[in-house]
Amino acid sequence: MGIEGILQEGFVTTTADKLINYMRTGSMWPMTFGLACCAIEMIHTGCSRYDLDRFGIVFRPSPRQSDVMIVAGTLTNKMAPALRKVYDQMAEPRWVISMGSCANGGGYYHYSYSVVRGCDRIVPVDIYVPGCPPTSEALIYGLLQLQGKINRTSTIARKP
Amino acid sequence: MSAKLETLRQNLTQHLGHRIAAMQIALDEITIDVEVVNYPETMQLLRDIPELGFAQLIDLCGVDYSTYGDAPEGAAVGKRFAAVSHLLSVTHNWRVRVRCFAVDDEFPSIPSVVSIWNSVNWFEREAFDLYGIVFPGHPDLRRILTDYGFVGHPFRKDFPTTGYVEMRYDDAQKRVIYEPVSIEMREITPRIVRPANYGNVENA
Repeated sequence: MGIEGILQEGFVTTTADKLINYMRTGSMWPMTFGLACCAIEMIHTGCSRYDLDRFGIVFRPSPRQSDVMIVAGTLTNKMAPALRKVYDQMAEPRWVISMGSCANGGGYYHYSYSVVRGCDRIVPVDIYVPGCPPTSEALIYGLLQLQGKINRTSTIARKP
Repeated sequence: MSAKLETLRQNLTQHLGHRIAAMQIALDEITIDVEVVNYPETMQLLRDIPELGFAQLIDLCGVDYSTYGDAPEGAAVGKRFAAVSHLLSVTHNWRVRVRCFAVDDEFPSIPSVVSIWNSVNWFEREAFDLYGIVFPGHPDLRRILTDYGFVGHPFRKDFPTTGYVEMRYDDAQKRVIYEPVSIEMREITPRIVRPANYGNVENA
């Protein structure tokens, strides 16, 4: 980026993609979708010790206002249509983080009659966070991985 | 057996008499078996007689005895389904367990006790949902835990762990659909890793 001369006049040049991705990664508002014990760990992540606010990540109670859905916990057959409905209500661009063994692939309940064997059977998943439940650090790492993934997308300049 | 338990046993025998089909005392707990015909009356008496005073129903759950190893001692042997209630008397500070076997294994039916203890409402729905025991007299007997439109009763011993259907989102239909289950059922037998006679218990 050529900034000589321009910087002094108060301008910075960048690409539109970089600007868009900066905005997107700077305020990933997650939809609170706590389903089981992983939700407790997700709440820890949002509380003062780990403090997701410092990443610009603020939990929202409504899918209309969210960019990311953190599927935290066991997804049962009975809950699956509701999860899909909430996902469909989210505005694009939207991302999904699957948190914990149960959401990743059924986990402990893989052979159960009432549990969906992985939430990727219901919604497309971007990041899988392993663990049972994953620690708060693991979830933050997953969120940072998602930031990295968003940074690699290019909305304006389509790369082949 | 403590004195209090002996008092309870005497009171039960005295006030219920022939309605008790069998009584077992184990681990300082009393279990009584009741025939289906006597069941509502017995429950009413258990609550209303002041010497018994079981004002609270703590729990009611279904049991499937179909592959039960040892037939329950002194009980009506061979019946498959039972409803087991746990009653508590706050005034006397004692408890009793009441078991009632359903007569028909194909269509298990046990009278509802909602009119006696309101708290049994959801417990009977649960037993109906998971075991298929019907409770005539229940005001709102429908499934409580399993999915809407679920087929079968998952806690029955002949119900496979993986069930019959699994779920996925169908992109063409834009909705969540059920499909026949695609994985093999796997039975996990826990391996016991402890030294012989650990805790002075003989290894089975």
